[in-house]
Amino acid sequence: MNVNVNEKNPDASNAITGIIRMLKVRLGPLQALTIGLLVALLLISVFVPDVPSQAVPDNSLFQGVIVALLVIFVLGLMLSEDSYQKKTDIFLILGIMLLAWEVLIGKFGLLDPFLFPAPGKVFAIYAKDYAVMYHGLISSFAILLTGYFLALVVAVPLALVIGWRKRAFDVAYPIAKAVSPIPPTVYLPYAIVLLPTFSSASVFVIFIGAFWPIFVGTVHGVFNLDQRLINSAKTLGLKEHVMLRKVVLPAALPSVFSGATIALILSFITLTVAEMIAATSGLGWYIEYQHQYANYDKVIAGMILMGASVVVVMWFFDRIQKHCLRWQNAGDNS
Amino acid sequence: MARIGLENIIMSFGTNGKRSNVLEDINLQVNDGDFVSLIGPSGCGKSTLLDLVAGLNKPTHGRILIDGQEILGPGPDRGVVFQDYSLFPWMSALENVCFAIEHSHEKLSKAEALARAIRYLEVVGLSKFIHKYPSTLSGGMRQRLAIARMFAMDPGVFLMDEPFGALDSLNRVFMQDLLTHLWSRDEDRKTVLFVTHDVDEAILLSDKIVVMTPTPGRIKEIIDVPFPRPRKRHNLFSSQDYVILRSKLLARFSEDMQDDISRQENELITWSI
Repeated sequence: MNVNVNEKNPDASNAITGIIRMLKVRLGPLQALTIGLLVALLLISVFVPDVPSQAVPDNSLFQGVIVALLVIFVLGLMLSEDSYQKKTDIFLILGIMLLAWEVLIGKFGLLDPFLFPAPGKVFAIYAKDYAVMYHGLISSFAILLTGYFLALVVAVPLALVIGWRKRAFDVAYPIAKAVSPIPPTVYLPYAIVLLPTFSSASVFVIFIGAFWPIFVGTVHGVFNLDQRLINSAKTLGLKEHVMLRKVVLPAALPSVFSGATIALILSFITLTVAEMIAATSGLGWYIEYQHQYANYDKVIAGMILMGASVVVVMWFFDRIQKHCLRWQNAGDNS
Repeated sequence: MARIGLENIIMSFGTNGKRSNVLEDINLQVNDGDFVSLIGPSGCGKSTLLDLVAGLNKPTHGRILIDGQEILGPGPDRGVVFQDYSLFPWMSALENVCFAIEHSHEKLSKAEALARAIRYLEVVGLSKFIHKYPSTLSGGMRQRLAIARMFAMDPGVFLMDEPFGALDSLNRVFMQDLLTHLWSRDEDRKTVLFVTHDVDEAILLSDKIVVMTPTPGRIKEIIDVPFPRPRKRHNLFSSQDYVILRSKLLARFSEDMQDDISRQENELITWSI
């Protein structure tokens, strides 16, 4: 029956041959080693029992994660040849770390089982605390993104205008330089008193924290624009608002992005600290709360989840940046 | 009335204590439809002069007139091509030309601007590259794009600051021919002010050549180029008149440099001892 479908539909058969072609993965020794390592880890996890102090009734989530890593790795190698070496290195290191964790802690019980839970124990938490973590993640990201985008929307236009006007720049830049290094969390106690809810206080603090790096990055970018480029734009007789939007902004965009990257990282830190101090939900709160009850398996589970979500957000951010600045390195591709 | 008029221009840079004149006593009338080259050794202020006409800078003294009107700043009545950096790197070739058209001809609709941009990109042979970013184009293609943009904007006056200075000789020949071809096919020819330090380029392209002296920049001599158009490079370069004009120009050109060169040579000799 499949054959019939293929004959009737050349597109489908093309797609299938395409997939078959893609399946011919180029496997070097290092790639084989990485796959072997992950498979070994899976087998050890399934067939070798944990020491009693680390044992959990259900190890399947950890094993699921290993399988997922394997699938992602092989798919990643198959789907594109880009950064072939980088992918392998990352997965190899990840595999070695997980293997060491599983074997040394889980199977040999080397360290204190209370402070250093085995991976099976940690990953089992996700099945148990799924709902709390999910809500924590949602509430954390709602606060983070609101504060961050607010900062973007306010800081970029403001900085464009200020960077463009020499007189405003001369006043604003020293102020920005003096104020920007203040850790944004110092505003938290005051913000909590002034603002009605913890969320609004956190949004405010993240706004402040993200504002300065974006502002300084943008002003810096505008101020250091290539004068020749500005002259060329001036000869077109552009009105000032067109000049700012269509020339100054795109020309300063690389600098805007470097500020925005720092701002995003700073926002993560600020939010986590704020949640640890004062929140009743969110990932930072979860970690801090579980720490108070000495549930270190949950603390580590929360840390891993947080790390993973940061990686995902940064990946998207990177994509956006690459898209917006595609003109910059366009020369390398052709 | 002259198309471009420069009256008693003095340009000086620096702070009050240490001002030095870059340009002095510049008086020049450029007639409508003339192709005029500014030629002189580097440091003679020819690019500064072009910036003044473009409106990017204001002269310390004197007036710059376009069609009898004193200029107040840059405007779409004057198109400028620089040696590089005329284009916006974040816009594709087509976007660069469209953007310039849309802001110099606000009455044109988007579709008309687009059609016009595509036409001029075709004229300079870039129709296959309209969606490329400038960084992916070669130096010659970038200058073709800049020229297409200037022609598409259709200003009355073209200001060109060593537009082919960074190109290899083959590309330069191609660009010179392209420019002459585009310029001379117009019924009412544009007025061109063209900065170069290449004597052959100046003779090949211009109706008049303005020779400048360095520090401070002054106009030393204005030389007419009598050769009829269209000029064929091959015939021109082998004609007796051309050789005479060329050596005359080179002599003017180098008089001021002689001192400089001999001084530098002496310095070198001193160093090597």
